[in-house]
Amino acid sequence: MSDKKAHSHEEHLREKHLMLDPLPRGKMNEMVMEAMMEPPTWKFWLIFGFLSIVVAYGLFYSWARLIMEGVGLAGVNRPIYWGIFLVNTVFWIGISHAGTFISAILRVFKAEFRRPFTRAAELMTTFGLVQAGFSIFMHLGRVWLAYWLMPYPNQRMLWPNLHSPLTWDLLAITTYLLSSTMYLFLPLIPDVAMARDRSTGWRKTFYKILALGFRGTEGEWAHLRNGMNIFAFAIIPVMFSVHTIVSWDFAAATRPGWNSTIFGPYFIVGALHSGMGAAIAVLAVIRGTMKHMKYFIRGEHFDAIGKLMLIISMAWAYFFFNDYMVQWYGGDKWTQLLLHFHEAGPMGWMWFGMLICNIAVPWAILWNQKWRSTPWLVATVGIIINVGMWFERYIIIPVSLSINRMPFTWRMYQPGIEIPLGIGTLAFFILLYMAASKLIPLIPVWEVQEGQMAHEFKKFGRETVVSVSELE
Amino acid sequence: MTESNIVDLLAVFSDLEPAANAIEHLRAIGVADDCMNVISGIPVTEAMLGRPAQWTNVPRIAFGGAILGFSAAYLLTFVAPYTYPYPIQVSTQAYVPGPPTAVVLFELTMLGMLLSTFLGVFLDSFFPNYRPMKYVPEVSDGKIAILVECPHMEEKKITDALKKMGAESVKPAEAQHL
Repeated sequence: MSDKKAHSHEEHLREKHLMLDPLPRGKMNEMVMEAMMEPPTWKFWLIFGFLSIVVAYGLFYSWARLIMEGVGLAGVNRPIYWGIFLVNTVFWIGISHAGTFISAILRVFKAEFRRPFTRAAELMTTFGLVQAGFSIFMHLGRVWLAYWLMPYPNQRMLWPNLHSPLTWDLLAITTYLLSSTMYLFLPLIPDVAMARDRSTGWRKTFYKILALGFRGTEGEWAHLRNGMNIFAFAIIPVMFSVHTIVSWDFAAATRPGWNSTIFGPYFIVGALHSGMGAAIAVLAVIRGTMKHMKYFIRGEHFDAIGKLMLIISMAWAYFFFNDYMVQWYGGDKWTQLLLHFHEAGPMGWMWFGMLICNIAVPWAILWNQKWRSTPWLVATVGIIINVGMWFERYIIIPVSLSINRMPFTWRMYQPGIEIPLGIGTLAFFILLYMAASKLIPLIPVWEVQEGQMAHEFKKFGRETVVSVSELE
Repeated sequence: MTESNIVDLLAVFSDLEPAANAIEHLRAIGVADDCMNVISGIPVTEAMLGRPAQWTNVPRIAFGGAILGFSAAYLLTFVAPYTYPYPIQVSTQAYVPGPPTAVVLFELTMLGMLLSTFLGVFLDSFFPNYRPMKYVPEVSDGKIAILVECPHMEEKKITDALKKMGAESVKPAEAQHL
């Protein structure tokens, strides 16, 4: 390879990979600060205002009505006692898995492409869990009695043994919400300290409080590095436990369609499927709407996440087929009836839609590197996967509850107030994200700089290759 | 040596290499490692700067938190049911059944560990700390600062040494509100 050719090869690699295209740290800080502090456009305010109205009506007003008038406003009734509230709970917990997967698992395995978007993914975890919490509290109905879930000394001297998967849910989701919020906050400290050094007025006070007095001394970095390492390893089993326990809410019941030993890993893979889909959609929006983000979030990132999405889609298909196959082969009359009801019943369109959205669409698009690297296309696939995964949860919960061993109770589920409440949680998730984009640095600049320091070109004979040093 | 005899110098370097050389030079002219501190905008490891390893209690605090979490779960699952006259019988399960107890033990142990890890970072780093501190904002722009504590009479010698080793600026450090 001639020198000119080698040079153009290097240029090509630089254009493609953020880690090979370093800018001075001060410049990157400036770009992230500008992206965050840029005055919102009228379009931003329009969307923000619209979402605020949706949240006010769909979430808060409708929830107040649910509390005041009772769960009769919801469509849940015999035999479908679990409806969209639980569909949304499982859905939002699923979304939250992307943050931990991207941030913790990819950090543990030192996947360098993760660096610019770990925070965007971690935010999804925290905001997704907030919506999951709302959804489960809506399902409780008499939300003021939520403390009954806790084991506490009571007048009747009854000890609520921790035998129910719902109690485990409380423990697991609380643990996950707290730990993912702390895990979001720890790597944020150096970036808010950077923002503190560059802002004035109320923002200065805000970042000063959040930065906790961080300067970047050797000791502070050592404690932070240790803390983040412990979190990265420990939060992975917590993440796995959360969705496994959510799956046990169903699998621990002796119902056809639910009583499956494979539900734990099936739910985890499903959570990753929807979570990665949501993460890539969020990244495409950030890249497309915020200043300077095209430098930080590039085609290589969509390509890398697209590959993961494809693998996860295949894993989901494997688990789905495994679950289906064993139930079908068992030959139990009621299970056969349920499987037939899924495919050929009134909600059969949803069952086929689920397979198209979760398998056919991702496989048709994500095998191609060029398509996979196209932000709008891969983000559309992400959204379609999320529709498919919502369908999956809908089929598992209200559709599977529609028919049972007592045909005289069979009924189709007609959601009521669940619809505005569900839309309200979605609007609230987006609203929180929009607010966060203006308040905290979405790009972990110090992590990007650390990665860029570790990457360099190296010559092997006449070939120029990328070499990564392990700095941590 | 009295407090008034001590001066803190803050030297700013543009890069890692000159900062590491300066630390080596300072050590050679008699400045103890305890009298130096490095401030940086990215986690520069001690090995890169040729500095002694930093002591951190975070893993120990995390371990302590895990034990506390496990103990809380043990009390909830193994002890509490027997302190009440009417434990609820679930099907044919024992009062303290194995698999559900494992779930509770796992979750509370992890919660204890992660909460205490977070707390450990705060305790070890003295967070939150809003008092005036010696700092230069250029650090978050990628510069590396060395904070040197030295006797007043050696101020010139150390300033000259730091400048010779490539410091962009060397000045007495003043505590300021961040």
